Amino acid sequence: MTATVSTPTITTDLPDFRFEEAPDLPGNESLSRYGVAGIRRLVHKLWDVTIEGLENVPLDGPAILCPNHLSFCDSVFVPMSLPRRVWAIGKGEYMDDWKTKHLFPAFGMIPVDRSGGDAAKAALDTASRVLQGGHLFMIYPEGTRSRSGNLHKARTGAARLSVQNDAPIIPVGHIGTLDVQPPDQFMMRPGLPVTVKFGAPMRASDIGDPNDPRTIRPFADAVMFEIAQLTGQKYVDTYASSSDTPDAAPTDVQTPKPSGPTTPSAGPGPRPSSIGVPPGRISVPRPAAMAGV
Amino acid sequence: MNLATILEGHDTDRVAVIDEDTSVTFGELQEWAASVRQLLVDRGVGADDRVAIPTGNESMFIAAAMGALGVGARVIPMKPTNPLPELERKLASIDPTIMLVCSQAAWTLDHADAVPCPIVDMREVRRSVADAPPIVERDPTDIACMMLTSGVSGHAKVAMVSHGSLLWAQEAVCERADGGMSADDVVLCALPLAHIFGLNVVLLASVRMGAKLIMQTRFDVDDSLRLVREHGITVLAGAPPMWRRWSMIDAPPGTWNTVRLAVSGAAALPNEVFAAMKEQHGVKVEEGYGLTETCAVVTTSRGYSLKPGSVGVPVAGIEMLLVEDDGSVVEAGDAGEIVVRGPGVFSGYYEDAEATDRSLTADGWFWTGDMGVVDDDGYLYIVDRIKDIIIVNGFNVYPAEVENILIEHPDVRGAVVVGGLHLDTGETVIAHVLGDIDTAELDAFAQARLSRYKCPTEYHLVEELPVAPTGKLIRRELR
Repeated sequence: MTATVSTPTITTDLPDFRFEEAPDLPGNESLSRYGVAGIRRLVHKLWDVTIEGLENVPLDGPAILCPNHLSFCDSVFVPMSLPRRVWAIGKGEYMDDWKTKHLFPAFGMIPVDRSGGDAAKAALDTASRVLQGGHLFMIYPEGTRSRSGNLHKARTGAARLSVQNDAPIIPVGHIGTLDVQPPDQFMMRPGLPVTVKFGAPMRASDIGDPNDPRTIRPFADAVMFEIAQLTGQKYVDTYASSSDTPDAAPTDVQTPKPSGPTTPSAGPGPRPSSIGVPPGRISVPRPAAMAGV
Repeated sequence: MNLATILEGHDTDRVAVIDEDTSVTFGELQEWAASVRQLLVDRGVGADDRVAIPTGNESMFIAAAMGALGVGARVIPMKPTNPLPELERKLASIDPTIMLVCSQAAWTLDHADAVPCPIVDMREVRRSVADAPPIVERDPTDIACMMLTSGVSGHAKVAMVSHGSLLWAQEAVCERADGGMSADDVVLCALPLAHIFGLNVVLLASVRMGAKLIMQTRFDVDDSLRLVREHGITVLAGAPPMWRRWSMIDAPPGTWNTVRLAVSGAAALPNEVFAAMKEQHGVKVEEGYGLTETCAVVTTSRGYSLKPGSVGVPVAGIEMLLVEDDGSVVEAGDAGEIVVRGPGVFSGYYEDAEATDRSLTADGWFWTGDMGVVDDDGYLYIVDRIKDIIIVNGFNVYPAEVENILIEHPDVRGAVVVGGLHLDTGETVIAHVLGDIDTAELDAFAQARLSRYKCPTEYHLVEELPVAPTGKLIRRELR
């Protein structure tokens, strides 16, 4: 799909920002309006932020931002590089803490209780609400931080949201966040360079028939391919897992070489879930029997 | 119990089969099968012996197969013609006890030295005999048929299917409250009997229900439609290439009026063929998914609303999951390998414990090797064969997706995409294309429609593509 490829703009300026009102979504509007403006200026003052391809982010209407995920501070740098407000799903537990219960929703976090049985559906329903309102929604397609440094296989949620809500996916690749906030560090180290790159909008119809469920996985894979082009990360066709260890040869040049274990690990597979076949036709195979296959 | 008993109990005067211009009644078939039992018992053939039956679509096969099953032996249906080396290879893999040659495979009789067992010309077997041995009792798990798989995924394997599995699959096809088959049906048998679809879903299911079978020796589109008109065919089953030809024919008005059940199987039915049959001929072609190893039955669209591209939902009694390599179930909506369990699942590959262990778990789950997706309503869609997936820089490329893009070009008549080794990317995408086209132009066409990693890096123009009679592409021949 070379037709969409063009040279992206590169800027180190703080992009213009348009505050869009969203009284139906969580978060105090006033706190959001003034808080976001302040944090944006602060972030661009404390770090050397470069933004590429900002023209790929639509100034109106819904879109899904899909960044790679290496550090906790990804959730700061990507939103603060945007020209509009953005929403994302966050842990319901943040609402139990007085420090975060007002602040995080004002910055676009929508709390979802992840302990319930239908947590994934609740999260996607919430995302649809954001997109139907014509807003930006951000979701990490890898599902969790990449501990290996590689770019991992996508979960299909973003691709399905895109089809269901007729919203394009904007692939996002950032470089440098892992140096700003390495794993398990609370503080963000100031003064370092961070680059956030926005790729061209993608739609399932570029891949195939959006109504055919076979289009979803190749669409999700194609988004990861574009992210890999933006970050230079090596792609691995396994899901990211909390038990992964840093890859021996991380391709993100700004990521420090780990001193810990260097053996790559695929980690366990995804948790079993229903595949939507009518009741009575599903059962999960016993792992012992499957292990021999 | 014994699968052979499906021939018994029907009104003996009813016509069971019409071969060209000859009718055979159920009574005649029963006596013929009894005579085959006598012949086999006289030759010392009994339980679990292997009876190879090269055959065309002819009533003689029913007598031979039911006779062999009746003495407890295993039936191995074979194509009527095989290049001699292929015949020798197949016979070596099944080690037959005896071969019963039907009339359309008579050439085999001239090559008796290539056959490592006694050969009997079925044309010379008496059609009735007094005091024939009775049908022996079998257990549902005893092997009834050994099917030479088409070997699309590699070397031919011999799948063993039991009496119980075949009977269950027939029941799944025939005995449905929402419109199965009945004794009133007239069924066209144009599919090869060496394939599980033609054997069990068409031929044996019809025999079981007491329907009338119209045999077509060799598939010919005009002749098949003549048979549909002359005999008032009510059940028409075909592979996608047959449906494509039927869809393109401007048949005389009324040709399709009697067809109440139209079924496609063995390979994916292209959407445009489905649409053409529906819109131009008023025939809704139902699609199912199954493999030799599942007695041809996993899913069906019968009784459900038809969704183009889908092969329907699992039939009652089948458990189906989509899984990752490690056996964990995929997320809802994601693609995974189709694994199935149920009464139709085969018993293993003959004399190939390694292949059996690779695909069949101890508790009965069969790993199909097919990649699929299930939508929110539980409908299955087939993505591709897992072995055919090309891995470029870690990214999965599904050959079918690339092929479907290439054939959208008006000058491309067909395309097969395979993986080739590449020093930098691991594998690369190679396209073999049928058509009169400039490859640079086709490359530009592909680049505009596919992610970069999916674009072929090599194009080869070819005179023909390797396609199995069922319509499946045999990609391994181009690797």
